[in-house]
Amino acid sequence: MSANPSLPNNRTLPPKEYALFKRILKCYEHKLYKNGLKFAKQILGNGQFAEHAETLAMKGLILNALGRREEAYEYVRRGLRNDLKSHTCWHVYGLLQRSERKYDEAIKCYRNALKWDSANVQILRELSIVQVHTRDLVGYRDTRNTLFQLKPAHRASWIGLAMSYHLLKDYDMSFKILDAFSKTLTIRDSYDYEKSELLLYQSAILEESGDLQSAKKFLLDHERDIYDKYTFHESICRLYLNLGEYGRAEAGYRKLLSMNQEDGAYYEGLAKAMQIADDPAAKLQLYRNVERQYPRAYLPKRLPLDCAEGEEFLTYLRPYLAAALDKGTPSLFTDIKPMYQNPAKVIQIGNLVESMANSLRDYGKFSKDDEKVASASALLWTYYYLAQHYDYHRDTDTALAYIEKAIEHTPTLIELFMCKGRIYKHMGDMNTAAQWMDEARELDTADRFINSKSAKYQLRANRVEAAAAVCGKFTREGASPMENLNEMQCMWFQTECALAYQRLGQLGDALKKCHEVDRHFTEIIDDQYDFHSYCLRKMTLRSYMELLRLEDVLRAHPFYFKAARCAIEVYIHLYDHPLQNKSADEQISPVVEAVFSDISIIYVTYAFQADRRHFHF
Amino acid sequence: MVTIRTAKPQDLMNMQHCNLLCLPENYQMKYYFYHGLSWPQLSFVAEDSKKRIVGYVLAKMEEESEEVPHGHITSLAVQRSHRRLGIAQKLMDQASRAMIESFNTKYVSLHVRKSNRAALNLYTNTLKFKINEIEPKYYADGEDAYAMRRDLVEFSKLHDIAPAFAPSFFDCKGKGSGDDHHHHHNHD
Repeated sequence: MSANPSLPNNRTLPPKEYALFKRILKCYEHKLYKNGLKFAKQILGNGQFAEHAETLAMKGLILNALGRREEAYEYVRRGLRNDLKSHTCWHVYGLLQRSERKYDEAIKCYRNALKWDSANVQILRELSIVQVHTRDLVGYRDTRNTLFQLKPAHRASWIGLAMSYHLLKDYDMSFKILDAFSKTLTIRDSYDYEKSELLLYQSAILEESGDLQSAKKFLLDHERDIYDKYTFHESICRLYLNLGEYGRAEAGYRKLLSMNQEDGAYYEGLAKAMQIADDPAAKLQLYRNVERQYPRAYLPKRLPLDCAEGEEFLTYLRPYLAAALDKGTPSLFTDIKPMYQNPAKVIQIGNLVESMANSLRDYGKFSKDDEKVASASALLWTYYYLAQHYDYHRDTDTALAYIEKAIEHTPTLIELFMCKGRIYKHMGDMNTAAQWMDEARELDTADRFINSKSAKYQLRANRVEAAAAVCGKFTREGASPMENLNEMQCMWFQTECALAYQRLGQLGDALKKCHEVDRHFTEIIDDQYDFHSYCLRKMTLRSYMELLRLEDVLRAHPFYFKAARCAIEVYIHLYDHPLQNKSADEQISPVVEAVFSDISIIYVTYAFQADRRHFHF
Repeated sequence: MVTIRTAKPQDLMNMQHCNLLCLPENYQMKYYFYHGLSWPQLSFVAEDSKKRIVGYVLAKMEEESEEVPHGHITSLAVQRSHRRLGIAQKLMDQASRAMIESFNTKYVSLHVRKSNRAALNLYTNTLKFKINEIEPKYYADGEDAYAMRRDLVEFSKLHDIAPAFAPSFFDCKGKGSGDDHHHHHNHD
């Protein structure tokens, strides 16, 4: 990140040393830390300037970048003590605090720096970033106002100011600023991506403010200059719907369907626009029409299964299943499964697939009277489906019988062994489950998906080392799999690992994994930092706003929830069953115990704050 | 049931999860954020009825080099459990469309392992990518990559997609030609 200290006022160093000092700043900026230290030494080596405040501070900052934290603090503080009126020293101290995520402290430092140089744009920008990062939105607005007054000709001044009002939900002000700004822009006749993004951001502000009419008008007025066609059409359709302009909404959704026939939301929107959302017969007619228009599209064939009932359901189901089984699509059961909520449909599905299996076995066709002969693998995929069907009902014997028939038919199909493993998992026999999943993995060692599944099943069987070894086939050579998975933020593995350790009673190891997951979230929240200024430059303001909103609820993600729950359970267990003889249980590290009281409270708070609806996973 | 739609910032973590399940080349979250916040139009996800991400394409623009800006596929994955549905093709076609509409992109490039027959087959036969060159030892484990390209001018005509700026888009100079500068990949 490009947060460089600002130049001091040239009042303490003669020209030669001042030139050297400037080179230190350059070196820091370009990460040439060794050279930076060399120049610092040249200044400080001269007895006259041995205690030069800003040089000491810069030396500290470079040492910090080199990971020498304690020395860094020593030098920066010493520099500051030598000149409490130096904005550079305060700025550097702020950067140091910020690098350790001590944002409140950093803000205090920047404020002190500004006391001595109130118009320092570099420090003000830095302050504004920390403010938005910590969601000090009022502070952010004030700083953006100051920056705007200092640099009214800068594009970022306008955008940043508008954004600060938007974050405070002052939509009116925010829109007005952008409107005034866009009038200062020279009109380009050709393609202008940034303008397109800005226009979409402005319309989003209008829509959020609730002024749908204005949002609609704004979008239509600027349609020609907007290149992100999906966002344009999706926004205008949403506005038409909410304004009750159904005819226009319908035309809009048909346009979207011509661009992408595989987004279920477009069909929902279209049904609402046609005011047939609660009319299954009309919806079926709609799907038929769309299918005629786009014969290769998949959703118009699949959607009727959700709204047809009874005999009509069967007329849609039969060709749908036959096509999928004929071709052999592994996801067919997952695809049909939502319909298992409907008891009548489950019976229809079960009967139909059973009869298909019989016909395929006896006649090689899906139905005795069919003209068309089914593919050679159709029977196999039908057995595979039935195995999953009976597994769903926990009729394990029948499920196993079908999967055996399928394996007999084709002994090399990975999906069959995965299915067998899953049946044993549902029986609660994790050891056998893991064994079959590993059998599947052996059939295609180049496929990471089956590798991951196998590792997950090993973890469910509490075989942590075996799981790590399996994962190791795909992690970087030379690094331990566990370390590499942590580096890559592989949270599914770490969470499953924590749960395995918890079951094994290795509570220290379980907590260690939970904390690794927690650290990923801290890191991901910190990842925002660079984007505060980056997105202002890139003009991707809508996405940036979404990022901010996402980061605010990031710990609502199921990965966090699972890890937090595990950690809470372990901590509660430790509270109820304090360790009698600490040395006897080597699994619990003293470090973990020390943080116990604080951390557990944090976890509980996060877990309860978590709004799980925000993520679908 | 699988839906194909534009990826939102909320999807990026689950895209990372899908990537870690399926592919050997992995990236930290920040790299996903970088894509989503630089080119929010270009990445797409395939989502099942339980709102799980079962496939994605992570795409970007190559803007820094001197040649004509072009699209690049950083990563494409479909979970093994959802193969044979044509998801990869649909994701790639959507990303290609968005590149043309939002960035006037004339071609899109990608890298594929020499040994990955299935992917090579998809790119060559279904998606009409052509091998541009071989990049020796492109992958961390020492394997070579094919650098491939898909002509989007052809694609736009075939699917009747209006480019961002027609005069320069249909201007055939520089179309998919020129030296391919070595783009260093970001496989950490």
